[in-house]
Amino acid sequence: MTESQESEDRFRRLMGRAQTGDSGAYAELLKEVTLVLRRVYRRQKNFLRDQDIEDLVQDTLLSLHSVRATYDPSRPFMPWLLAIARNRFVDGARRYSRQGAREVAIEDPDVTFKAPSTNTIREAFGDPQALHRAIDQLPSGQRDAIEMLKLREMSLNEASEASGISIGALKVATHRAMKALRRLLKER
Amino acid sequence: MIKNTEGLIKNLSQDLYPVRPLPSPLIRTLLWIVILCPYVVLVVLIIGLVLRRPTSTLDTRFVVEQIFALSTGIAAAMAAFASVIPGRNRSFLFWPLIPMVGWLGTLGEGCLRAGTLETSFHHNLWCFPYIIILGTAPAIVLGVMLRRGAPLTPHITAGLGAIAAAGLGNFCVRLVHQEDVTVMLLAWHVGGVFLVAALSSAAGSYMLNWRSVVGASAKTRG
Repeated sequence: MTESQESEDRFRRLMGRAQTGDSGAYAELLKEVTLVLRRVYRRQKNFLRDQDIEDLVQDTLLSLHSVRATYDPSRPFMPWLLAIARNRFVDGARRYSRQGAREVAIEDPDVTFKAPSTNTIREAFGDPQALHRAIDQLPSGQRDAIEMLKLREMSLNEASEASGISIGALKVATHRAMKALRRLLKER
Repeated sequence: MIKNTEGLIKNLSQDLYPVRPLPSPLIRTLLWIVILCPYVVLVVLIIGLVLRRPTSTLDTRFVVEQIFALSTGIAAAMAAFASVIPGRNRSFLFWPLIPMVGWLGTLGEGCLRAGTLETSFHHNLWCFPYIIILGTAPAIVLGVMLRRGAPLTPHITAGLGAIAAAGLGNFCVRLVHQEDVTVMLLAWHVGGVFLVAALSSAAGSYMLNWRSVVGASAKTRG
């Protein structure tokens, strides 16, 4: 029996047990699937950063979890997994291209108009590094909420699913984080 | 990274509950029809008996047309159910084509036999509300069932679902729609099926998307 056949059989067994509610088998399966997904997405590394790969892996794990009832234990596991992975990859690529189309990279425009009173942009807002530093200073719960809901644009449900934090707690954490960020950026 | 992947795995696995694997597309299609049967029978009886709309006569051409219309609906429903299962061969896309060609063929042949072009362009539109009544319920039930799958190809799935619902609705309407096949019937009935399929396909990603699937899973869990 080849190695890939062995791992295929193992995945099938673990997924079958996961469908019956076996948490241990499911955790084991997800850990191994994570390695496979990282390998698959890394093949696309010509335009993906490590952070992007990890985002895609997490999106795929959430998707896999949501549709685990679509897996038929009598059929092979890998085509099922890779179909979801490919689909999430295409979605991710679309998201990046949309972001790329919306965002224009400009190198420090130091002048807007000649009049000095119009050149206040850099003082008032728009310093992403300061924002990142401010986010790093937040307590971990608030930082997680901001990163999931504001930076990765996840819905409350998705963020709750990913973090295990209730929707109410996420809303409170986001509100507090926004308040803290305003204060931190003002103090600068 | 907000929550590391190991943390996510822990979250997903610790509150795991058992799930029953979805039945095959064929079984789900049969289930869809069984769910709709009482509704369809009731509506057809009301239209036929209470509103005194004459039921269609059972000549061979009509029976063949109805078999093809129903087969188109069933094949499209099976294809739609197959499209939400990851890893399936894409040959399912062609399943509805064969009965659809047969259906269009019988309707086309009926048009040719209908006589002059003038009579062919005459068509009663009283059936329109019944198409809506008989097509909406299959579409809603199918939509709910399809949301239990993976939204891999939302546009294709929604288009196939619309063909399935419209095909079944069309089959039922023709039971109480005693008219010769005319160009107008072809345009209203078959054109309607394609129009609904196109509109539904365009709106596919709003009805079926990962965001709502993952969100629904989170709600079930929480």
